[in-house]
Amino acid sequence: MADLGRAALVTSFLLLLYALVGGSLAAWKGRRRLAESAQNALLGSFAATVVATAVLVGALARHDFSFQYVADHTSRELPLGYTLTAFWGGQEGSLLLWLLVLSGYSVAAVLTARRVGREVLAWVVPTLGLVGTFFALLLVFVASPFATQAAVADGAGLNPSLQNPYMAIHPPMLYLGYVGLTVPFAFAMGALLARRTDERWIVATRRWTLAAWAFLGIGQLLGAHWAYVEIGWGGFYAWDPVENAALMPWLAATAFLHSVMIQEKRGMLKVWNVLLVVLAFGLSLFGTFLTRSGIIQSIHSFTQSSIGPWFLGFICLITAGSLTLVFARLPLLRAKTRLESLVSREATFLYNNLLLVALALTILWGVVYPILSEVVTGQTATVSKPYYNFFLHTFGLPLLLLMGIGPLVAWRRASLRALGRTFLWPLAAALIAGIALLAAGAGSSRIGVIAYTFSVFVLAAIALEFVRGTVARKALGGLGWAAAFSSLIARNRRRYGGYVVHASVVLLAIGVTGASAYETVRESRLKPGQSMTVAGDRLVFRGFRSRLESNHRAIRGLVDVYRGDKYLGRYTPGKNQYFAEDQVSNEVSIRHDWLTGGDLFLIADQVNSNGSIDLKALQKPLVNLLWLAGFVFVGGALIALWPDAREERRLAERYAGATVRV
Amino acid sequence: MPGKRSPVRLIVALSVAAVLAVFLLYTSIAGGGTPVLRPSQLAGHHGRVSLMGQVVGTKSGDAHADGLRFQLRDVKGTTTVPVVYKGSVPDLFKTGRDVVVDGRLRNGVFVAVPNTLVTKCPSKYQPKR
Repeated sequence: MADLGRAALVTSFLLLLYALVGGSLAAWKGRRRLAESAQNALLGSFAATVVATAVLVGALARHDFSFQYVADHTSRELPLGYTLTAFWGGQEGSLLLWLLVLSGYSVAAVLTARRVGREVLAWVVPTLGLVGTFFALLLVFVASPFATQAAVADGAGLNPSLQNPYMAIHPPMLYLGYVGLTVPFAFAMGALLARRTDERWIVATRRWTLAAWAFLGIGQLLGAHWAYVEIGWGGFYAWDPVENAALMPWLAATAFLHSVMIQEKRGMLKVWNVLLVVLAFGLSLFGTFLTRSGIIQSIHSFTQSSIGPWFLGFICLITAGSLTLVFARLPLLRAKTRLESLVSREATFLYNNLLLVALALTILWGVVYPILSEVVTGQTATVSKPYYNFFLHTFGLPLLLLMGIGPLVAWRRASLRALGRTFLWPLAAALIAGIALLAAGAGSSRIGVIAYTFSVFVLAAIALEFVRGTVARKALGGLGWAAAFSSLIARNRRRYGGYVVHASVVLLAIGVTGASAYETVRESRLKPGQSMTVAGDRLVFRGFRSRLESNHRAIRGLVDVYRGDKYLGRYTPGKNQYFAEDQVSNEVSIRHDWLTGGDLFLIADQVNSNGSIDLKALQKPLVNLLWLAGFVFVGGALIALWPDAREERRLAERYAGATVRV
Repeated sequence: MPGKRSPVRLIVALSVAAVLAVFLLYTSIAGGGTPVLRPSQLAGHHGRVSLMGQVVGTKSGDAHADGLRFQLRDVKGTTTVPVVYKGSVPDLFKTGRDVVVDGRLRNGVFVAVPNTLVTKCPSKYQPKR
């Protein structure tokens, strides 16, 4: 079977190479039939990659330990679910997943984005082929998932912290995001190569960009939730290089999603948009490189592997190549209009872009600082949490505020009087909230009060937009409130989907602020019968319970929680001892308070031989809004992504002339 | 609009300048990063550093009482330094593992900052070939 997998990968590699070389030739010489065959090669490579994937999945399911990959990442006791998710538990499998997702995206994008025009599409195919060739090359020659060995009796097992339901969903989501950014990149490069620098490539890839960005966002939230419930230190984001690796392209893509609207509406910022898409794609490659190369010390880096130099070379090639191309096409990227006023929708988009890019680049600086400092001073040094928090506050809080201001400012030129009117209610709401917060004693954290006041301002501004729109639509013609509201959203999916996403970011900000700025932490060593107090709740330790599971022993501390005289329930923080892997993992216990959105987070820091426990208890107010934000985010993204017949017709009319020309 | 420059350039230039100013201000106040050292490089450093090394020998003491005591050795070398640490001990911490911990050297003993111990993932899951 391994031979079949290898053969499928070689086939995929050759087809992608053909899509690259043949496709380039076809686009350059304008050969239509060659271009079609290059496109077909792209389709074929997807089929071949599916075969390779099936072979690896089959080997995992059969516990075929003659596959080195299977032996290294699973064991016989491992439940079937985790055995299958071990597909992306190691490097070779992860690369195969990259290639699978990439070729899937390539096929879907090439088949659905024909509106972009034949000349551009002819160059998109070899660009996608180039990226695919690189990953197929790694899989065939450097890190093959189909390396074989004499079959061993049992495998090494899967890292216990990967034995979690999130393992099934978090990495694939991130990959769908990382890899999805290839699509807008390929179309941007296609447009530049074909000298078609109008906004058609943006329109054709809008949904793909949005989908990739949404997947990346969801993937990160899932990772944060995984860290929160499983890794057991009480947080959800640690500014670890590998976490930052996913955040940076997401920030760049967020900037891109905003700035393309200016190009669509006003024909400005063409160079900036192309640079952003290069930045986003470059950062997604850099993210994969960070995760996989082990060049920077991270709690996530599982390996010091051989693919690092390959990746670095490819990133340099992509960056240098695309920047050269942008430079060569500069005359074609002139703006049609210019910014008319510093107080306009365009200008707020511009500020938002600068802040997002500044945040992404300062994070990038923090991530590469260890390497730079070693090169410059010969001594490795790292930057830590205060550095990142400082820049998150400096750039993130104004960004939060802009989310409320932007939608209320008119395009082109806004009059100050009109602004005053639109801002009246949100400002009043924010002011009242600020005073109420200070009165309630939230002044213990200045950043917290600022963040919450801004949040109220933005939420009020968004609510106002929905109310105004609904009222206007109702006035138009005899609709009821509900019908007017749904017709408002259906007719402007992108706009109102965007507002819903904004609301989710505000919820996220509220949750993060509550969990960080207003957190209470208490630690204590308790013997059975002893108790401790955290933020008003009394925790009584009752002793330990131990149970034998198929591949581990589960030890749990029994903790009864009381508020006043009221018994709130028994919570069981503890540890699992895994046999095959010879490892311990922390199993936290969390009490969600659905009414207030806060969590009581219990960690069995140390299990002592004399029967006592070192218990760490964290009270995290409002932290559950962070997870609620995830659902709202998905909802908003879906609204914006949903196919829109009206928009399709509008676009078809707009490009009707252009389609005749090609 | 002859003679009138686009405000885009002004915004971009001012913003870039503002970002750089904030950045420089931060780095000048907070200083650079924390140096990451091996046990053999510790001598002479008395400020806060990150120490990276391999856990060797036996560990003793209690991380939640008077402190956990263990030795760190250069990952590729022989110099060792005793470490005393208080706070949460990661699940993966044990003899033979590579760890990073913040702290400062006092009288030949590396006194760790509480709750800064981080283990690097074991290489077992990705055998070296």
